[in-house]
Amino acid sequence: MSAFEKLQNIDLRWVYLLVWIAVLGPLMWPLGLPVTVGRDSSTYYNYINDMPDGSVVMFTFDYGVSAMPELFPMTVATFHQLWSRDFKVVVVASWVDGPRIMNMVMEQLKPEQNYQKVYGKDWIELGYFPGSEVGMAALAKDIHGTLAVDYIQNKPTSSFPIMQNIKTAQDIDLIVAHETGTPGLPEWVRQWVTPYDIKMIVGCIGVQVPEVAPYLQAGQCKALLPGLTASAEYELLLRRPGIALSGVDAVSMSHILVIALVVIGNVGFMMARGKRGS
Amino acid sequence: MAEILRRIEVPIGITIICTLLQILPYYFNIPPLLAVSDLFRRWMLLVARWATFVGAVTLMIVHSKNIQQQKKGWPLSIIVIGSIFLLMLPGLPLPEMGLGTKNAFFDYLFTYVYSPLGSTMYSIIAFFITSAAYRAFRARSVEAFLVLFAGILMIAKNAPIMTFLWPPFVPIGNWIYDVPNMATMRAVIIGAAFGAIALAVRTLMGSERGYLRGGREE
Repeated sequence: MSAFEKLQNIDLRWVYLLVWIAVLGPLMWPLGLPVTVGRDSSTYYNYINDMPDGSVVMFTFDYGVSAMPELFPMTVATFHQLWSRDFKVVVVASWVDGPRIMNMVMEQLKPEQNYQKVYGKDWIELGYFPGSEVGMAALAKDIHGTLAVDYIQNKPTSSFPIMQNIKTAQDIDLIVAHETGTPGLPEWVRQWVTPYDIKMIVGCIGVQVPEVAPYLQAGQCKALLPGLTASAEYELLLRRPGIALSGVDAVSMSHILVIALVVIGNVGFMMARGKRGS
Repeated sequence: MAEILRRIEVPIGITIICTLLQILPYYFNIPPLLAVSDLFRRWMLLVARWATFVGAVTLMIVHSKNIQQQKKGWPLSIIVIGSIFLLMLPGLPLPEMGLGTKNAFFDYLFTYVYSPLGSTMYSIIAFFITSAAYRAFRARSVEAFLVLFAGILMIAKNAPIMTFLWPPFVPIGNWIYDVPNMATMRAVIIGAAFGAIALAVRTLMGSERGYLRGGREE
């Protein structure tokens, strides 16, 4: 095998080792590489920031634990921004892991101690609703009937002060969805955004971004926070460095590695082809 | 009577009624129709909840058979069944017995076993994406070169260090995202929507039977 062919056929075990070093190295020894705030993260930040006090925001967990490495940092940062303002926050989950992830958010942020947010008055967690898109449609028509008891205290939804004026989709001002797939944005758009003219912003994993693009340009999704890099930018905007900023060095290094490997493979391919041609 | 109920027309009829009850309220504001449509949606939520239970039972039946017949990989089936019971028992909705999602052992399993395992499975993608990019991204033709070049530009746009070193990566990446990607994804979404409409019409007419008995008549 010639040197050029070897460049095209590096043993994958070496590739995996390089990935491992590129990801783990910066996580263990942060490099402090610069992060520039982009348009997506600033639009997302500004959209929440510009909501008037007293707005009713529904946060929905449309992801499971497997997506936590990428989405959990932005979820924590979003709750920080939501609880820092005078919003009424209703938490639901279309994915079954959602309520458990919310427990971890609460453990980190401690809404009562750090934000003086009283459960049942300023915010509430209604838990998981099954049925995917049909569940969303049912929730839009009748929140109290679809999720009859809350997740944390197991009491009737209608018994909480916050829920006295929140009964249908028309009582919600903004949906914030963090998601990885189905059910997710298209289902919310069909069942909530279009029929009830509800505003919606989304945080999603990097590979899902191309799918969300048409909804963003059509105005059905008002802002998009795509992946870990945007989460890090969002943390910068909030002036609250968190898990995303500490992980973004790994993103930079792994992306450089991918580009380097692609270039090496193509140099080998071109040279080998040139040699065969001559 | 049993023979009549077994006829293929029965589930097709139920499907047609359920589908129409969800479609018609979009076009006609008839209160009784809206009420029945709402009722059906609630039934659907109940069905979905029970389907989870049925799923667990089916999983146990399949893996029990694997163990009984000692099929290939049967020891893994023991782990599956053991894991089901390990998570299911402390998570049973019996709060008066200390069980349920607030049970300490269930919480421990979720936080320190299930969550790290799920995250690990997702993180493994990094290795596969890198090796796939290295092996598949070859400029074998002009078209392949264009895909490769656009891919590299997007990777660079998403790496903070790259955009810091050369800021034009941002507008270039944004253009690829906003124009070619947008056009392609719109075509995909609209195409899929037409496909879904065609499938719905075929289902309503009883021509689409793939969801019934694997499409067989009996």
